[in-house]
Amino acid sequence: MAKRTTTRSVQQKPAHRHGKGRCVAILKKLSAYIDDELPGTLCEELRKHLGACPNCEEFVASLRQTVALCQHQPAPALSQAERARMRNDILRAARPR
Amino acid sequence: MKTPAPAKQPTPASRNEARTAASFDTLYRDHVDQMYRFATRLCGEPEVAKDLVQETFLNAYRGYQTFRGDAQVSTWLYAIAARACSRMRRKRKGAPDRELSLEEFIPTSEGEFRLQIPVDGLSPEEALQNKELRQVLDRAIAKLPKKYRMVLVLRDMEGLSAKEVGSVVGLNERAVKSRLHRARLFVRRELSAQGIAASEPSHNGHPFMQGGR
Ligand SMILES: [Zn+2]
Repeated sequence: MAKRTTTRSVQQKPAHRHGKGRCVAILKKLSAYIDDELPGTLCEELRKHLGACPNCEEFVASLRQTVALCQHQPAPALSQAERARMRNDILRAARPR
Repeated sequence: MKTPAPAKQPTPASRNEARTAASFDTLYRDHVDQMYRFATRLCGEPEVAKDLVQETFLNAYRGYQTFRGDAQVSTWLYAIAARACSRMRRKRKGAPDRELSLEEFIPTSEGEFRLQIPVDGLSPEEALQNKELRQVLDRAIAKLPKKYRMVLVLRDMEGLSAKEVGSVVGLNERAVKSRLHRARLFVRRELSAQGIAASEPSHNGHPFMQGGR
């Protein structure tokens, strides 16, 4: 697929001339984009840019992956004993005799 | 947790109290796991998280009369926990409470556009079977400045809507989304900077396993 040509002038080569400013503007909207909150025309425009700009396309994919990982990150659970102990502590603190 | 309340003889109040206790038990039973999960995600360390859960339910117990049915119980509890968390002021490592600017997340070199972690072609569940990845993700979230972590945890981990998050933390939706976006970009950058190799099932001693926490 369209790999950027990295070989020459490695630093600060704008891979796509129309770009940097455009890409930055896009970056600001990516959460709204992946959350499906952009109005239709904007969304369309953004999609078009992504299709033409591998960097932004990769970036949005990586942001999506990041969010998906957060959504699925497992969390530890309390043991039954811990749950009961904490309940007693709370009630004791709430109702000092 | 100390409350030197004046000791009282049994009165109508004690019947009231029994009612409160019964509803407290329901509240606790139905929400303690959720609150512990939330607290763990906010605080990292299990002991701190337990303190936060106790503080939360204690405040909920005391404030039960002020709970109005117009909010969801869980939103109400999240808000109590969020307030307790900012009061607890336990110092955490990393995470100075600074502002995140969008500019700092603009990639400046080629390698920064993709995540340098083994996720391609895997579902999130599959990817997260990699313990090292789970740890790196935890650490990235822990590194977030607190107010950003709060929003990311509520929205992307607890699954609240932006509007609900706003009512928990006292922000409008727009502000929630702005914070959320920065928080996600932060975590994304952490993940892309980490460079985890694909998991080698049997073999241990990752550089990540020593160090912190
Ligand atoms: Zn672009």
